[in-house]
Amino acid sequence: MKKWLNLFLIISVFSVAGLLFYSSLDSTQAQSGISITARIESICGDGVIDGGEECDGSNLGGQTCAGLGLGYTSGTLSCDSCSFDVSGCTTTAPPSVGGGGGGVTIPTKVILSGRAYPGSDVHVLSDGKLTETVKADAEANFKAEIKDITPGVWSFSVWAKDKNNIKSITYTLTFQVNANTITTVSGIFLPSTIGLNKTSLNKGEILNVFGQTIPEIEVKVHVFSTEYIETVVSDNIGVWLLPFDTIVLEDGSHAIKAQSQITPEEKSGFGQILSFYVGEDRGIGDLDLFCLYADLNKDGRVNLIDFSILLYWFGKYNTCADQNRNDVVDLPDFSIMLYHWTG
Amino acid sequence: MKKINLQFKIKSYYLLLLLILFGLPSAAFGAVLYFSSANNVYHEGDVFIVEARINIQDECINMVEADISFSQDVLEIVDFSKANSILSLWVSSPLISQETATISFAGGIPGGYCGIVPGDLSESNLIGKLVFKVKELSQTSIANVKFLENSRVLLNDGFGTPGKLEFKDASFTLLVGQSEDFKNEWQEQIETDLVPPELFEVEINKNPEMFENKYFIVFFTTDKQTGIDYYEVKEGKGEWIIAQSPYLLKDQNLQSIIKVKAVDQADNQVIIEYTPLRRQLTFLAIFLILCVIIFWWILKNIKKRNIQN
Repeated sequence: MKKWLNLFLIISVFSVAGLLFYSSLDSTQAQSGISITARIESICGDGVIDGGEECDGSNLGGQTCAGLGLGYTSGTLSCDSCSFDVSGCTTTAPPSVGGGGGGVTIPTKVILSGRAYPGSDVHVLSDGKLTETVKADAEANFKAEIKDITPGVWSFSVWAKDKNNIKSITYTLTFQVNANTITTVSGIFLPSTIGLNKTSLNKGEILNVFGQTIPEIEVKVHVFSTEYIETVVSDNIGVWLLPFDTIVLEDGSHAIKAQSQITPEEKSGFGQILSFYVGEDRGIGDLDLFCLYADLNKDGRVNLIDFSILLYWFGKYNTCADQNRNDVVDLPDFSIMLYHWTG
Repeated sequence: MKKINLQFKIKSYYLLLLLILFGLPSAAFGAVLYFSSANNVYHEGDVFIVEARINIQDECINMVEADISFSQDVLEIVDFSKANSILSLWVSSPLISQETATISFAGGIPGGYCGIVPGDLSESNLIGKLVFKVKELSQTSIANVKFLENSRVLLNDGFGTPGKLEFKDASFTLLVGQSEDFKNEWQEQIETDLVPPELFEVEINKNPEMFENKYFIVFFTTDKQTGIDYYEVKEGKGEWIIAQSPYLLKDQNLQSIIKVKAVDQADNQVIIEYTPLRRQLTFLAIFLILCVIIFWWILKNIKKRNIQN
């Protein structure tokens, strides 16, 4: 009896675990799978010395002028924007009683840093509105500062275009900004861009898949419904190319997506999912050419104007705004627009 | 003794297996819509805030559509605040109905929402704040606030795929008679809000697909303290009228200065003025014509003087 109970429990546990594993696999196929590489590194102004901060407000971490080892013997060490301010330190006898710093007003500011594509323009949105454009360096690193911000919950989004003008996904982080603090977010990692030389081809033809990411890292390209994972390495400007032989694919529609990987632990989420067709019946040839990527007024941006057009047609039919082709402009169309949002 | 220990271990083993077996399926693989509040016990006449929040498990979302019901016999819905909501674009502004005891809304997050960012110590997962007032009671009552089954989230996957969703309802104990420390949580928030809504831009546009290709304006902003209450638009010397984006302009010749006012729940306001380019060009043209006339008049006078001399 005990044996049967054991067997039942073990089978059940493995079945459930298998089911959960399968469902997690299924969810990783969707682009919506969570892969937050970014984190709030420090909050300057909260009185706590986080990583990258020398001090925070009146909290000097027990440090003194003399203890800095910069030749000062006495004086008042203070803190300015989470860095030591030695203007009150002296090399002679103390002019006044020493003590904690503070008194400096810290501006409410957010600093976003991470990696995009070498030399790309990185666009930063605050609550969906374009507020800043900064340039990534040759190593794809970027840093953006959003100043004079009202305390509260904010959504900051980042997107960029690669050297072939292919847009990344819009990467969004939502967090609380506190008054008189500098919130530093690091580790933003835009997934690789992805493009195809064809969207419809015969079985056995080579499909050229290409994109851009950080220089000299691995890019994992996933082709599904039957999943094939190919790995390529980006060149010194982050560009990569994968000639994919479609002989292995069945006739019909397929999808493809890419993920950048510096190390197995440090990888981006998945970027854009593209679809292509293999076989004689090239039904999807011009399917996506009309109001592509929710750009309803076709100005190259997906922003408030497109949202207004969508609202105008909401609950009605409009060829352009009906992104999912269910004959009515509804919430899934809105969701598709939000996914492609550029501000 | 050893036998007892062994039996205990075996029992623990089965217990663990059973926990895994029945515990794992209940581990959410989608989003969870839930409520939070400062207290669970209120008195007659108290005005309190119930926050609708979302927890994300394993998939990013970008749209929330929610229908919420409440115990109509003991609660009155007073207001809905969008302040500090993760939703920034609202397809349908909160529709409050005391008659049907429901609150409905749908909004989205450009670029999606993937949960609380590591390192963020606050709960940045607010959907909206519901403000309730406790009605007159004949006896101690239990009030329920719950998400209706037709509420949904859509994944940030570019396909508008519905996400898996769970609901957690909230219950409140309502006591007869007013308490000594009468609560009006909403009023407290309104009184401390002295900050106007965020500055914003007004854009003018026209599109063959909309308003028969006539000019319209678009605008939107947020308010981090109590939330935007309404917008008003004024064209030229016209009256302020309640409006929403997109707004079809009355002056299709674009000769009027357009003003858009955003007002928050605490009545703080910000006014944005927009001068259409065509109006600016008209003024520029008039200015240039005047300059030419003055220049011509000066030249004429100089010539006249030269001839006289």
